[in-house]
Amino acid sequence: MKKILIYCDTKPEDLSLVGAVELMVDEEVSLTAIGYKEHCPSGNSVYDEILLIDDQKVMPYDTMNLCDLITENHKENKYDIILFPSTQLGRILAPRVAIALHVGLVADVTDLHLNHGIIEMIRPAYSGKLLAHIEALGTGPLMMSVRPGVFQPKAVQLKSTNIRELHGYQPKPSQIILLQTRLKPSTEDIRDSKILISGGGGVLEHFDHLEELATLLNAQVSASRRVVDSGLVSRRIQVGQSGKTVSPKLYIALGISGSVQHIEGLKNVETIIAVNTNKNAPICSLATLVVEGDAVDFIDKLSTKIKKNSLNFKEETQ
Amino acid sequence: MKIVCLIKFIPDVEDFKYDHERNVLIREKMNQILNPEDAVAVAFALNVKKYYPSTTIELVSMGPQSIIPKLEELLRLDLDQATLITDLAFVGSDTYATSRIIAHYLTKHKFDLILTGTHTLDGDTSHVPAQIAQWLGLPHLSNVNSIHMNSIDLGRLELSVDHDQEIMSFAVSTPAVLSLQKEAPYKLPYVRFEDLNKDVSERLKMLSLKDFDLKREDVGFEGSKTKVIKTYAQTLNRQTKIEVTTDEAGIQTVYDYLKDKGFLK
Ligand SMILES: Cc1cc2nc3c(=O)[nH]c(=O)nc-3n(C[C@H](O)[C@H](O)[C@H](O)COP(=O)(O)OP(=O)(O)OC[C@H]3O[C@@H](n4cnc5c(N)ncnc54)[C@H](O)[C@@H]3O)c2cc1C
Ligand SMILES: Nc1ncnc2c1ncn2[C@@H]1O[C@H](COP(=O)(O)O)[C@@H](O)[C@H]1O
Repeated sequence: MKKILIYCDTKPEDLSLVGAVELMVDEEVSLTAIGYKEHCPSGNSVYDEILLIDDQKVMPYDTMNLCDLITENHKENKYDIILFPSTQLGRILAPRVAIALHVGLVADVTDLHLNHGIIEMIRPAYSGKLLAHIEALGTGPLMMSVRPGVFQPKAVQLKSTNIRELHGYQPKPSQIILLQTRLKPSTEDIRDSKILISGGGGVLEHFDHLEELATLLNAQVSASRRVVDSGLVSRRIQVGQSGKTVSPKLYIALGISGSVQHIEGLKNVETIIAVNTNKNAPICSLATLVVEGDAVDFIDKLSTKIKKNSLNFKEETQ
Repeated sequence: MKIVCLIKFIPDVEDFKYDHERNVLIREKMNQILNPEDAVAVAFALNVKKYYPSTTIELVSMGPQSIIPKLEELLRLDLDQATLITDLAFVGSDTYATSRIIAHYLTKHKFDLILTGTHTLDGDTSHVPAQIAQWLGLPHLSNVNSIHMNSIDLGRLELSVDHDQEIMSFAVSTPAVLSLQKEAPYKLPYVRFEDLNKDVSERLKMLSLKDFDLKREDVGFEGSKTKVIKTYAQTLNRQTKIEVTTDEAGIQTVYDYLKDKGFLK
């Protein structure tokens, strides 16, 4: 039996880390979740045990104490695998725990293989054209971070979960104090959008055109890193490995080549329409509909057609 | 106040070369650029120095000797010292080994603040700063988008962190490790014209394995806790697809498709 510890830092119903476990363990598992109350299930769940961190004692972002808490817990329970979501907190907590336990850490795993008992962690490498298989060396728990939403468990089996609050832990005085939290002026999240109009290097000079098509289709605009790096748009709308993982029903990729890192952000997208001057660009292999040609030309013509037809439609019904 | 900036020169991702036999990136031949967020961190440090002239700034970078000219370019700004940690023995270090080597250097020195980028454009793991903070037993925050200049003197820094839909303000006791994000409003100045060819070599220090109390097996491939087994090109599952162009017929096909699937009312 393998013992797994999962740090919860997303919605309680997010089971993507449990999905990752399925891919790398082919025997029975005992699943322990650890996290703050708002991120953990409150009743019976897929977990055998849930350990709730007391937010009066250890504040989120106090990664020194969180790390000690997890390390102590590991020393008691000797987990085989410890998983973190690659959330903002997960990304600064996981490396600390890895050093405390003297084990390796692989970031943003996108696929997993069990190869003759060895777990291979897969992530994009360098150029965006290659994937790397990575193996952990040495003894001690296997650690990785996984982007939320990348994996989904196939079978969900409800267990009678033992929920415990972690009271015994004596934290050190915190060196980080939260002064205040302010909500940003509300900006829409590309992850919630059913349709995304996404632009890349091929529309760099005309990125503002995307907005027109987005309005007509009641969609949101997103971008590849090429556009974000050029400073035109905020990283908040970047799709991909260092951006967001999105699952819209329709993804219109305008002048995007489809590097590994970009495609990593496209999970469970129903339909991709790729508009590209090069119909052999990688993104075109993933698309249901490939439009060969200039993306701005495409936007203008399609927008005109949509506007014209909706006008006709109005006239007919009046 | 003494500030250490951890900076990394990264291959310009557009022209990368990869050694498939050894599974490493060939850095020596590539055009190297300063990781943009690290530039933001250095720019902030220079701002502090403007406000508080007694501030000293040291750049620390681990990488190949080919980045020396780039470090010298930076040293022509108002920076006090650059330390290049460089040795062929370090090649192949994963983030565990890298953070261990850099932290080892830092334990021997006094500083109030370590500034880094939140992540690098090439590796994008965000591991190194948090790992160094753990080796040194220091608090750490990432995605920092501003540090309040007035708090610098208090031994307790006030700063804001960009957390998705929220901005969180924290007070952190120093010494601390802070990772800045690209959106922070600090920009590197240009080198003054008269300094363009200034000799700065006496402010550049180079360290190799023999300068560390680390053994050969603690660094490089041997000192790493992860190993790349293989890399390969991704094969994409080809979809059964429709191919059109942007002529009238093509646009009509797209329009009909959108209507048909209910994306257009
Ligand atoms: C660690 C790391 C993380 C990364 N994370 C991300 C990430 O999260 N998201 C991401 O997107 N990238 C990411 N990248 C970068 C990625 O490798 C690519 O460089 C990037 O996705 C390229 O963007 P692009 O396809 O828009 O641009 P390009 O590569 O410049 O491609 C432009 C495309 O547009 C086409 N085109 C040109 N002109 C026209 C025209 N007039 N009309 C129509 N088509 C045209 C071209 O044929 C080409 O296919 C990452 C890279 C690294 C190393
Ligand atoms: N080799 C290195 N030398 C100096 N600083 C580094 C090095 N690698 C990473 N860093 C620092 O750590 C940050 C995050 O890098 P990474 O963990 O590679 O995503 C960078 O922005 C740098 O500030």
